[in-house]
Amino acid sequence: MKKIIVAAALLGSSMSASAVAPGGPGCGWGNLLFEGSSGLPAHLLATIVNGTSGNATFGMTSGTNGCDTGGTLTYSGNSLLAMNGVLEEVAQDMAVGHGEALTALTVAMQIDASDRDHFNSVMHENFAQIFTRDDVSSGEVMENINAVMKHDDRLSRYVS
Amino acid sequence: MPAARAAIGLCALVVSMVASAAPPPDFKALAATPRWQALMHVNPGATLRGVGTSYVDDDDFFLAADGKADPAAELRATWQALEPEEGQVRCRFPARYRFLAEQLGWDEAAPLAHCDDYLAWREQMPIGQLVLVFPAAYLNSPSSMFGHTLLRLDATPEPDAVWLSRAINFGAQAGGADNSLFYIWRGLAGGYPGQFSVTSYVEKIRDYAFVENRDMWEYALDLDAGEIDWVVRHLWELRGINFDYYFFDENCSFRLLELIKVGRPHAPLMTGLRFAELPVNTVRALYAADLVAERRYRPSKAGELEALSARLDRDERALAEALRDDPDLADSRRFAAHAPTRRHLMAQLAYQALRLRNREGARDPDVARKSLALLRVVQRNPAPAPEPIEPPAAPEVGHGTQMATLGAGRQDGRDFLSFGYRLTYHDLFDPMTGFLPGAAIEGLDIQLRVDEDEGLDLESLDLVNIRSLAPRGNFIKPTSWFVHAGLEQAPVADEERALGGFVQGGPGASWRFGDLFPYVFAVARLESVSGANPDAALGGGAEIGVAFQAESVQWGVHARWLEFTSHFSRLRTGLTVNLPVSHENALRGECSHETWQSDAVTGCSVSFRHFFD
Repeated sequence: MKKIIVAAALLGSSMSASAVAPGGPGCGWGNLLFEGSSGLPAHLLATIVNGTSGNATFGMTSGTNGCDTGGTLTYSGNSLLAMNGVLEEVAQDMAVGHGEALTALTVAMQIDASDRDHFNSVMHENFAQIFTRDDVSSGEVMENINAVMKHDDRLSRYVS
Repeated sequence: MPAARAAIGLCALVVSMVASAAPPPDFKALAATPRWQALMHVNPGATLRGVGTSYVDDDDFFLAADGKADPAAELRATWQALEPEEGQVRCRFPARYRFLAEQLGWDEAAPLAHCDDYLAWREQMPIGQLVLVFPAAYLNSPSSMFGHTLLRLDATPEPDAVWLSRAINFGAQAGGADNSLFYIWRGLAGGYPGQFSVTSYVEKIRDYAFVENRDMWEYALDLDAGEIDWVVRHLWELRGINFDYYFFDENCSFRLLELIKVGRPHAPLMTGLRFAELPVNTVRALYAADLVAERRYRPSKAGELEALSARLDRDERALAEALRDDPDLADSRRFAAHAPTRRHLMAQLAYQALRLRNREGARDPDVARKSLALLRVVQRNPAPAPEPIEPPAAPEVGHGTQMATLGAGRQDGRDFLSFGYRLTYHDLFDPMTGFLPGAAIEGLDIQLRVDEDEGLDLESLDLVNIRSLAPRGNFIKPTSWFVHAGLEQAPVADEERALGGFVQGGPGASWRFGDLFPYVFAVARLESVSGANPDAALGGGAEIGVAFQAESVQWGVHARWLEFTSHFSRLRTGLTVNLPVSHENALRGECSHETWQSDAVTGCSVSFRHFFD
C-alpha cells in the first residue's frame, strides 16, 4: 500500500473521487495535459541576479505546485506529474517508448530495474488507453497507468 | 559523565575521561585548520571586503558574540554548546559536531539520535554523488553567458533518474512585490540577502532546459561519501542563514565554491582574488583542483529539436513543418510514402516544434488537440535506434574572460599605436570554441591610442555592447537585437574628431548557412559630442552585414547608415578578420571607412589580442 501512496502522490492520482482536489487547494494534481508552463519569474530577474522570489524551500516544505504532502513523501513534496510541464514529457516518452521522464516515473513508482524495460513497452503499447483525451488530467493519467498495470502479469504486483 | 557513555566500553571510557580531565583544547590552533575556516566561511582574501572575517551575515549562525570576526572564539563557544549529550545545539550544527568529534576524539554511538528534524531531512538527502550544474548561455540572451551554477545531489553514484535528485541553489531572496528594475539594482548593489535552498532537480531541468532552452553542463565531482557528508551536514547549518548577495563578487558561483570547500578544505578553490566570479571560472577552478570526475551534456529542447532536424533531409523537414500545422497530413499518401521509422522522426520533429512554440503561456485547446494527434502518429510508427546528440565544445574550453590588446594602425595618413583592456567577455569575431554561435557580450572595453601628432587619447570606452544574432530557421523565428553604449571619438568637423557619448541599438533578423550569419538591424542612435553643433543628436537607420564564425578563422563585413534629425547623415563600412593563433591569443585586422556630410575618415589597424582570467 505504501508504494501505491507514494506513486499516487508522485503522479498526482486522485485516490478518491471526492470533490475536494487531492493535496489541498492550489495543488497541481488537476493539471491537464499540455498545460502551458508559467510561473517562471521574468527571465531578466532570474538571469541577472539569479534570484528566487518568495521563500526559499529547503527540501521539506511543499514545493512550487502547492501540494500538501504531509511531510511523508520524498522529492520535496513535489509530485512529479502534477508539476507543470512534466505530464507532457511523460506523454512524449510513452509515445516514443523510452526517455528520462519515463525512467524517473519508474524509479518514483519503485519499479524494479529488471522490470523497467517491460514497463516502458507496456506503456508504449497502451498509449491510447493512458492518454485518452488531449485534456486528460494528471490524476486520470495515474489511474489509467494503474489500470493498465493491473492487467499485466509482471506489473500487477506493483498496484495491488 | 552520564552513565550511557560509561557503558560504551573501557577504551572509550578512558578516552572520555582523558578528554574531560585534559585542559581545554588549543582553540586558536584548531580554528586555524582549513576545515574550521571553511565551516566559518572565513574570507581568505578572495574578495576585498572583510578579509579574515566570516562571509555569513546572520547572528543565528554564530554562538559567540564576536563569532563573525573571531573563528577561535566561535570554536570555543561551539565546544561548550555541543559537548553536552542530547544538547539541542548539536541538532543545528551537525558539521561542527563532526569537526569537534573528530578533532577531540569524542566517541558517542549516536550523537545526533535526538535530532528528529535533522534526521528526517537527511533521509531525504541520500548521498551518492555531488554534481556541479552549469546551464549554458541561451539563444538570443547573451547576458546569460554570465549564467548561473548550482549543485545536484544524487542518491547513488550512478543515478538512473536524476530528475528525482536534489538541486542545491544559492540565490538572492527577493520579496515578490519588487518590480524588475528595482530588483536588478538591489541585486547588483547588495540589497538582498542570499540564502541556500534545496529543491527538486526536475524543476531546474524544466526552468533551464525546457522553458529557457539552455543546454546544461553537468560536472560530477570527485568527492567520496565522507566528503559529501560534510557538505550536506553543513548545508543544514546554512538553512535560513543570510549571506550578503553581491552580483559581482559574492554571487552564486562563489558561494558554491565555499560549500564544496567544506567537503575538501585543502582544495585550492579560493586562491587569489576572485572578483566578478563567472560560472565558467568556477568550472575551471574545479578542474584545476582536480575535482571533476566526469562531464555530461544535457541538450535543451531547442538543441534536441535541432539534432532531430539534422537527421531528416530537406523534403522530410518540409513535410514535418506542414505536419506541425496540420496533423491530418499523417493520413496523406505523401506521408505514407515514407518508411515507418522516417514517419516516426517526422512526427516527433513536428511535435517538438509545436511544443517549443507553445510551451509557455496559457493552454490552447487547438494546440493540445494537434499535440496529442502528433504523439499518436509518433506512437504508431516504430522508433529508429536513438542517436546520441553530439555535444558542442564545453564552455570552459573557451578563451579567457578578460583581454588585453596591443596594436598599430594608420588613420587618414597618421600612424598610431593602440592598447586596450576588456573586462569581459566575447565579441562576434573572438575565437568561438566553447561559445554560443551568434552571441556576443562585452562590458567595460577601453581602447587608448597614441598618435604622432596628438599624443595619448581615449579612442573608445564601451560600457556595454551586446549583440545577438539568433538565426531564423524552419521551426524557430527569433528576433535578433543589439544594444551598445559608451564613449567614442566621433567625427565633428574637417579632419577633427571629438569624444562623444552614445547609446544605440535595435531589433533585427539573422539567418545561418553553415558558419555564415547574414544579418540586418534597424538602428536608433542618441549621441552627444562635445564641440558639435547641436551637441545632442538623434538618428535612425539600418545596418546590414555578414559574420563568419569557423573555429579556425572569423571575419565579418558590415555597412551602417544613419540619418540624423539635425540634417546630416553618416555611412560607416567596416571589415574585420580575426585569426586565433593559440588558445589564448589571436591576431585581428580591421579597416573602416566613415563618411558624413562631405568628409570621410579611413583607417586600418592590426592588433594582438591576449585573453586571460
